[in-house]
Amino acid sequence: MKLKNRILAGALTVGVCFAAAATTYADDIRVGITMRMVSENGQAYGQMMMDEIKGINEAGGINGHMIKATLMNDECKSDKGVANANKLVFQEKVHLLIGSSCSSVTLPIVDVTAKAGVPQLVPHSTNSKITQKGSEWVFRVPVSGRYYGGVNAKYVGENIGTKIAYICAADAASVGDCANMEKQMKARFGVEPAYRADVQEKEVDFRAHMQKIKSMKVDGILVAALAETMARALVQSYEAGIGEDVRRIGSSSASNAPVPKIAGDAAKGVFFTAAYAAADQRPIAKLFNEMVKARYGIHAPDHDFSQAYDLVRIMEIALKNTALTGSLADDRTAIRDAIANVKGYEGLASGPISFCAAATPQCRDGNRTAVLIGYTKGGEDFETEVLARVTMEEDFGLE
Amino acid sequence: MGFDLNSFLAFIIFGVTIGVVYGIVALGISLIYSGLDIVHFAHGEMYMFGAFFGLVLADNVGLPYPVALVGAMIITAIVGMSVERVFYRRLTRAGGGYTVAGMGMIICGFGMSVAMVNVAYFIWGAEAEPFRANLDYIPRLQFPGDIEVPESYVLTAIISVILMIGLHYFLRYTKPGLAVRAVAHNKDIAYLMGINVPLMISLIFGVACALAAAAGVLIGPMQSVQVEMGYLMLMKAFAAAVVGGFGSLPGAIIGGIMVGVFENLGAAYISASHKDIYAFLLLILVLMVKPSGLFGVEAKVKA
Amino acid sequence: MIVLSKLADLFEDLAKRHRLLPWLIAYVLLLPLPFVLAGLFNEYLIDLVNRICLFILLAVGLNIVKGFCGQVTVGHIGLYAIGAVTSAVLSLEPGGFGGALGFGWPVWLSIPTAVLVTAFAGLIIGLPSVRLQGAYLALATLGLGESVRIFIAVTPALGSSTGLMMIPAPSVGSFTLDSFTSYYYIVMTAALLGIYFSFSILRSATGRAFQAIREDTTAAAVNGINVIQYKLLAFVFSAVYAGLAGALFAHMQPGYLHHNNFTVIEMVTLLLMVVLGGIGNVWGGVIGAIVVAIAYDQTKDLVFYFMDRPIVIQPLVFGLSMVLLVMFMPRGIGGWIEDFQRNRRFIRRSEERLSGSTRNT
Repeated sequence: MKLKNRILAGALTVGVCFAAAATTYADDIRVGITMRMVSENGQAYGQMMMDEIKGINEAGGINGHMIKATLMNDECKSDKGVANANKLVFQEKVHLLIGSSCSSVTLPIVDVTAKAGVPQLVPHSTNSKITQKGSEWVFRVPVSGRYYGGVNAKYVGENIGTKIAYICAADAASVGDCANMEKQMKARFGVEPAYRADVQEKEVDFRAHMQKIKSMKVDGILVAALAETMARALVQSYEAGIGEDVRRIGSSSASNAPVPKIAGDAAKGVFFTAAYAAADQRPIAKLFNEMVKARYGIHAPDHDFSQAYDLVRIMEIALKNTALTGSLADDRTAIRDAIANVKGYEGLASGPISFCAAATPQCRDGNRTAVLIGYTKGGEDFETEVLARVTMEEDFGLE
Repeated sequence: MGFDLNSFLAFIIFGVTIGVVYGIVALGISLIYSGLDIVHFAHGEMYMFGAFFGLVLADNVGLPYPVALVGAMIITAIVGMSVERVFYRRLTRAGGGYTVAGMGMIICGFGMSVAMVNVAYFIWGAEAEPFRANLDYIPRLQFPGDIEVPESYVLTAIISVILMIGLHYFLRYTKPGLAVRAVAHNKDIAYLMGINVPLMISLIFGVACALAAAAGVLIGPMQSVQVEMGYLMLMKAFAAAVVGGFGSLPGAIIGGIMVGVFENLGAAYISASHKDIYAFLLLILVLMVKPSGLFGVEAKVKA
Repeated sequence: MIVLSKLADLFEDLAKRHRLLPWLIAYVLLLPLPFVLAGLFNEYLIDLVNRICLFILLAVGLNIVKGFCGQVTVGHIGLYAIGAVTSAVLSLEPGGFGGALGFGWPVWLSIPTAVLVTAFAGLIIGLPSVRLQGAYLALATLGLGESVRIFIAVTPALGSSTGLMMIPAPSVGSFTLDSFTSYYYIVMTAALLGIYFSFSILRSATGRAFQAIREDTTAAAVNGINVIQYKLLAFVFSAVYAGLAGALFAHMQPGYLHHNNFTVIEMVTLLLMVVLGGIGNVWGGVIGAIVVAIAYDQTKDLVFYFMDRPIVIQPLVFGLSMVLLVMFMPRGIGGWIEDFQRNRRFIRRSEERLSGSTRNT
């Protein structure tokens, strides 16, 4: 009996030795990134962050310190994301954690960083609950879902009509987008959804819903889903015979390249809110578009690209304003305070990004400006146009 | 909301068109079960591979859609036969003859499924690919009451019927078909009759994988093609095969149509978000009440 | 080898005289592990060990129904989900932050309740086994397990896509067990108890009935074993393990549950543990769980560049190793252990015979 216990203990020790690659660099600033790296775009976001950080190091680093970044894959699964966060915080002993792409992964990581006292920058997740948890350590670079809902509802109600059918997929971001839109439509125009279908995250067949929606003669259809699911829904809405006069409204993931690529012509006329438009005419945006195209072969970067880029720039600003002492806990706090002092950062994002010290969503949802973007052409070489740019009040969409 | 006959009919029509595709995949699963007495848990990946081969042939090589369909079927059949030869043959043989009692084959199928998904991910990446087939020569069906059936669904129905008739003809009226049926009936006797049983097993596997590929190419234009598409189809096809009776070929098609209609009606009248559960419910219900299925030969106790 | 044999002999003698003693020694030896890990390496490894303990519970539980009783179930992960969600929902505050259902029970009450609920669910998942065998049973349990996940995914009261968040950690008095180290003592105790009871089951009359059913159901029935009752019992036992593992997972901080933690991929990982360990061998299952969990943790971020595209190769390796294990090492690590034990017994018997013969002359 005991022999087997010895084997068990032995196996554990071997595994443990294997895992013990903990290294501490005296002078480096350690940054941990956990993201969904399964898709090509996901890998490109991660790669771009790593390249930008490399660029900072090559330019002499931050006040003489090099940044050592560790990139990990969480496959958009919360248990893996939490394991990654624990590993980065306790094994790699990072000063700053960046993550994650999916709201359902970011939500638990917020608790990890709050307890361990590690500043966390959120690159892509839009679920409004992330900043409502009251963590002092979390900062959101993208636009919170609560703002998107307001922008969408205002535009839809004033320009399209109030008889809207909702198709809501079951991923965390889309559920949030749907709920926010519904709430805002009710608050602004006092209307309930004409039709609402909650479908699965990776639903493949929307025809039953489209058939029902078709018979209802609605003004618009909100399709809230992840990129590929949304593209399928868009294609099938045309197949079911719903005409172009019924406007298709996308959730925030409509900005991702697979939507126009897969939906093709069905993407034309779809509009959505996002934090960045590739159709942006500012010089910085044009430069960015060219850089992404040259480096990663991406035709037109979506807002996840711009947010990843902005995040690195914000991190750079904050780190430059931090006086590192060498004590991990003090440095983490100092970096947190430095991020909280970032005000009016103007980068690629649709509007200025500002943080403040209080652990409230008003302070920690950095970007309050959403752009309304419409697809004017689908397919691989899709084109977009900017319809409107709306800045929301700080406490908009809060209870 | 009152009962609307038109949309009810629409749900049934759409249920049938998707159900036929479930039926084709189920046909392959049923064929493998009757031939090899194993349930092939990696069959969904054959369907996914078929869809990707079709996509490559149609979009990258530029073949017309029907040619791409046939090409994908042939390539997938070859892939399937090699997988069977290299991996499954050892297991099916180890169990005595070509059957294996126990869970080895099931676990192996699961492992193969994961491995194949990742091989496809290696080649094609994780993102969905659009499959644009030029189907202008197929008419759109117009039913009374504003029900339009798009081209791709019409095509699916037509090709499925052709495939079924072809398979029926092959099994009934050709020599290899007769040999396949003999192998399915009793391998030992088939051996004694001078039938090349290993070859026939390969043939069964090839035909089953070709059917799955056909389903993949048919579904491609409707739902786009993605490496993870196989798993859900596998579950639906299992349900179809079980409902129709495992090992019964006409049963597989009818089971497929039943699953398609059942889940569409469920999505329309009960709750859309529980859609995938309906197929499982039907599967479990049939397994509990009548494990042999509606048209089943008596349920064999085999893995 | 000889030293190992001698050691094993020694401990076996000890175990014969005091049944619980080796377990107590093991428990005491495992007590300082978190401090050793934190001291020598880092705290993350404690978290890893905690997760390994949960996997051990799951693998050992799956082994009861699969290995002891020979019933092919692929719905185990569904039971794990039921245990986790039940305990989480029971312990969450009503009208809490996450917007999910909550009852506000104390954690020490919600965990046993969740185990009971899961045991009942295990009975239901086991029901098909009364009529079905082999592949049919695999299909039915797969369907049931996946239905559980989809049901959680689409029911807002159970967290749906946003997940259940801020599930409280258990506490003793005013001390909350929310650190890796304090939680380690809960999961380690649970895992060790799980292994112990698994052996107790194996050696009891019930265990022998299970094995009889596995070897030949008809013969078992002829010998007066109530096959239906014992099959269901095996499912209930394994459900207790899964439910406990699930409940402990739910309360492990940061206390977050999402339905995509319970997909078929997780089921495949679980199967790999059992297959690697050797179906039916308890220690094999434990070693399988440890090896797979560590391998998983270490290889998750291995990236291989293929045509300038980074590719995560780990799932491919896992899938292929499952196929190859079934093909070339069907008895898994458990096979080695059994061989080792058999050899040892053989050597001892020969020694006894030899010494006996010398005495005679």
